[in-house]
Amino acid sequence: MKPAAFDYIVADSLEAAVAALAGAGGEAKIIAGGQSLVPMLNFRLLKPSVLVDINRIPGLAFIKESEKTIEVGALTRHHQIETSPVIAKHLPVLGCAMTHVAHLAIRNRGTIGGSLSHADPAAELPMLALLLDASLEIASASGRRTVAARDFFLAALTVDLNDGDIVTGITFPKLPAKTGWGFEEVARRSGDFALAAVAATLTLSGGAIAQARIAMTGVGPTPRRAGDAEALLTGKPLGPDLIEAVIKLVRAGVEPESDLHASADYRRHLAGALAGRAVAAAWRRAQGKTA
Amino acid sequence: MTEPAEIHTRPKIVGARIKRTEDPRLLTGLGGYVDDKQVPRLLHVAFRRSDHSHARIRAIDCAAARAAPGVVAVFTADDMQSLVKPLRATSRMAGYHATPILPLASGKVRYVGEPVVGVIAESRYLAEDALELIAIDFEPLPVVVDPEEAARPGAPLLHEEAGTNVLIAREFKRGDVDAAIEAAPVRVKGRFRMRRKTAVAIEPRAYLAEHEAGRDAITLHSATQIPGIVRDALAEALDMPGHRLRVVAPDVGGGFGGKGSLYPEEIFVCAAARALARPVKWTSDRMEDLAATSQAFDEIVDAELGLDKEGRALGLRADVIGDVGAYSIYPWTAGLEPVQVVSFLPGPYRIQHYRGRVRAVATSKAPTGPYRGVGRPISTFVMERLMDMAASRIGIDPREIRARNFVRPEEFPYKTGSGIVWDRSGFSECLTAACDKLGYDDLRAKQAKARAAGRWFGIGIASYAELTGIGSRISVAPGMPINTGTETATIRIDSTGAVTASFGIASHGQGLETTLAQVVAEHLGARIEDIRIVQGDSSAVAGSTGTYASRSAVLAGGAATLAAQAVSEKVLVVASHLLEAAAGDLIAGNGRISVAGTDRSVAFREVARAVYSEMGRLPPELRDELAATKTYDPVFGTTTSATHIATLEIDPQTYEVRIGRFVVAEDCGRLINPLIVDGQVHGGVAQGIGAALYEEVVYDDQGQIHTASLVDYVVPSAAEIPPMDVVHLETESPTTLGGFRGMGEGGTIGAPAAVANAIADALSPLGIEINELPITPERLFRLIGAAQAKV
Ligand SMILES: Cc1cc2nc3c(=O)[nH]c(=O)nc-3n(C[C@H](O)[C@H](O)[C@H](O)COP(=O)(O)OP(=O)(O)OC[C@H]3O[C@@H](n4cnc5c(N)ncnc54)[C@H](O)[C@@H]3O)c2cc1C
Repeated sequence: MKPAAFDYIVADSLEAAVAALAGAGGEAKIIAGGQSLVPMLNFRLLKPSVLVDINRIPGLAFIKESEKTIEVGALTRHHQIETSPVIAKHLPVLGCAMTHVAHLAIRNRGTIGGSLSHADPAAELPMLALLLDASLEIASASGRRTVAARDFFLAALTVDLNDGDIVTGITFPKLPAKTGWGFEEVARRSGDFALAAVAATLTLSGGAIAQARIAMTGVGPTPRRAGDAEALLTGKPLGPDLIEAVIKLVRAGVEPESDLHASADYRRHLAGALAGRAVAAAWRRAQGKTA
Repeated sequence: MTEPAEIHTRPKIVGARIKRTEDPRLLTGLGGYVDDKQVPRLLHVAFRRSDHSHARIRAIDCAAARAAPGVVAVFTADDMQSLVKPLRATSRMAGYHATPILPLASGKVRYVGEPVVGVIAESRYLAEDALELIAIDFEPLPVVVDPEEAARPGAPLLHEEAGTNVLIAREFKRGDVDAAIEAAPVRVKGRFRMRRKTAVAIEPRAYLAEHEAGRDAITLHSATQIPGIVRDALAEALDMPGHRLRVVAPDVGGGFGGKGSLYPEEIFVCAAARALARPVKWTSDRMEDLAATSQAFDEIVDAELGLDKEGRALGLRADVIGDVGAYSIYPWTAGLEPVQVVSFLPGPYRIQHYRGRVRAVATSKAPTGPYRGVGRPISTFVMERLMDMAASRIGIDPREIRARNFVRPEEFPYKTGSGIVWDRSGFSECLTAACDKLGYDDLRAKQAKARAAGRWFGIGIASYAELTGIGSRISVAPGMPINTGTETATIRIDSTGAVTASFGIASHGQGLETTLAQVVAEHLGARIEDIRIVQGDSSAVAGSTGTYASRSAVLAGGAATLAAQAVSEKVLVVASHLLEAAAGDLIAGNGRISVAGTDRSVAFREVARAVYSEMGRLPPELRDELAATKTYDPVFGTTTSATHIATLEIDPQTYEVRIGRFVVAEDCGRLINPLIVDGQVHGGVAQGIGAALYEEVVYDDQGQIHTASLVDYVVPSAAEIPPMDVVHLETESPTTLGGFRGMGEGGTIGAPAAVANAIADALSPLGIEINELPITPERLFRLIGAAQAKV
């Protein structure tokens, strides 16, 4: 479990990093927190000829609040997001999700840019980006572009990034007023990748749900939204029958895979159960109660 | 955590809650592990391992690897042939088939992960680069993965020369069990399955061999539990006398049995260092650890228990198949675990009629070996499940059925149907103490309420007995011809008054440096801080084995007592001369010898100086070295017993299991250090919870291992382990010197059964039996789904 030999370039600016990537002609890999990349190097699943270290690029680790959005720099560590008062205030579902990501030592190193770029099918951050309708800012030698989270995750471990691309930041719209949230996860152990996880937000208007968002991870190659269930909820107050209907819809709508830890059937079962709980928690929170 | 009041009031050093003296070193990074060792001109090994479960090796092409940058040598089995003689784990048991232990696979590979080629290079990185250049032409052979199929006549054979895959078959019986069970008014039975596990010590195995060319001598630094056994085995394999071989186990980061056997890689580094006249090191990575360190707990048990209407057991019969993997491990043999399952199945209960049959079946998987608890986690799981099944059939409480069946105090020593003899131990006392600690009756009342509200809340009891501190009359492994029943201690006071006590044991986390120092301090009157414990070194005493089988506190503690008493006599003779007082009036304590009732005293240091350094202070006949070597042999073994109780709740929608409380009441005789006993129980229970809920080595039907990293081999972390209550009882002093009983393994023995019973109890409204461990959320999902479909 030793990596094959590689060259190592420390980039001290975004320009230098982009240039180094462009110079390596597809043979390079960015290293951020290294928490997903280094195991793959050690297993020799990846043998890049060059590692471009972006950790010393100034200005890529930040949480910035503006009127309607929260912008998070790609190098922001999981632990910063977990403990940020700005996140706790405007995106509490994100702060809560972070406590389920790995262990503290890993959260001290792992970055949001790395997690989204890596796109593990059971990771929390891709699900949260999808839930919260975030968008990603991407830089390359040929300029900058913005991609919506909903278009970013293409397949397991596959995202809309080209060889020379660097994710520089993620923009989250703030949660609207009268919005409650829920986050539910089942993992084999504390800190493990999810067998299934569901996050939901419900925005109320009058006594009914004006907007419902439900996102899931661990139940398919990429995170996904439960569009049918969201549509079903819209315009109604939440009650036990509606929760049951959501559970059924979610189960019917996912196509999870089986692995060593859980069968597709169990994951499907979990997706429904967790969606029911997440929606119920969001409903309670939207009414100002504790979940 | 509570303990009986008497422990607080005990004035002595033995029994004191002393913090582990090795911990400051280990916790501040100042320990020295094999891989830390800096040696000039060190070479590094990487092994090309088999990716086939069972295959013939047609040809190996190492030419490109030999030419790769930094590579110094490449060895195959053929290259090793002239350097190493094959070893075999022999046994006196009839019908046993030994298998060869070689540094590299020869002719065939028999499991995925078996070492085939050893590459030696200037760094581990370069060695691994060269691995990719080796071409092995394998001819796949039929895999041998299902132990039941492998046991059938005509099955493909792993070891042709054995003529069968059944490496051992045994039967223990007493009375007429078939008649007893046929006639029993109540019968419960099941097919029980415990899935394969592996030890996962934090420090993986590591071996560094240094060759001293001038003497043709080898020092092997080995992360092993058994330096003495390894030394003796190497003497045979390398054809060298013991004084040119030294095996040192420095700080060792856990073993749990996984470091308790001789390994091919260990022989390899020694042979390679000798052939190349350079030091050679191999450190296992986690992938190798999961694929090629000994595995365990892989049994299928068909068992039936017959009882009378009051729930008294009449007869027990069982057929056990142990899936022992590809080789019969050295020195314990393939019989070690499966035979223990049938030996210990009757547990702490009075059962007149018994029959246990066992077959140890070779399969093309990693070899199995010792793992904390050896066999008894399985036997206890089966027996305790049967007890609960019977209790529910008859309609009595699980606590009550155990109380009715325990061997009673007046019946000790009691011989079980399999021939194990229990000396008096607190079987019923532990059950009572555990129930009291838990508030058992209250909890049952709460459970009734929770159940009425639709909650799945369970309480599980497991009681067991084990034989520990085994002496020379009993083989630790069935039929094994190596004596593991004696332990030698040498205690020496040097010219500065410092005390060095040397042992053959090899502490790898048990805190034996502390507990043995306590024993020595108590009997010698020295201060703990003046005592150094030397252990984990085959050169410390003439003959030794190591630390395993809950033996070290009993055996080394006994040897320490004898040697300390002998040295103390010498010290007192000298002190009596120096103090001009009768030896009988002297008291040794806290590093000084004083005349009782006076303020006159001398320090150990002054005694030592008088003996070794000062001219004319002592008459010549008193200038005897302040040293003694003593050997202790408890001859038989002594019984340790305990009751574990777990409470847990199962989420009715996600099927996650949350353990609430975990209570252990145990009788391990006299406690040397309650803090360390607590720690051993905590760690053992954590491993038992792993066995119950999480850990499973998975091979597919092609013999490929799927749990090759700690993402897939799921070991519980601190977050999954509940707080525990440990109650210590000392029901009766056993015959061992000092009254110690072994207690290093018990946590792992009781916990799987307690958790399994608690889950079955929680799910009893659905009529679900738990017959397979680990009981993962996935397995619960299937069991619950099937039960709900029936309703
Ligand atoms: C034991 C363990 C448990 C874990 N458990 C969880 C868990 O429960 N949930 C979870 O979500 N994650 C988990 N992780 C993964 C962890 O969250 C990682 O930190 C994260 O997936 C990757 O972030 P990183 O910064 O370490 O990325 P790296 O490992 O450095 O990189 C990962 C990939 O992303 C690319 N990359 C990195 N940064 C950028 C960028 N700015 N632009 C473009 N590409 C980039 C790299 O080239 C690489 O391909 C776990 C990890 C470990 C080791």
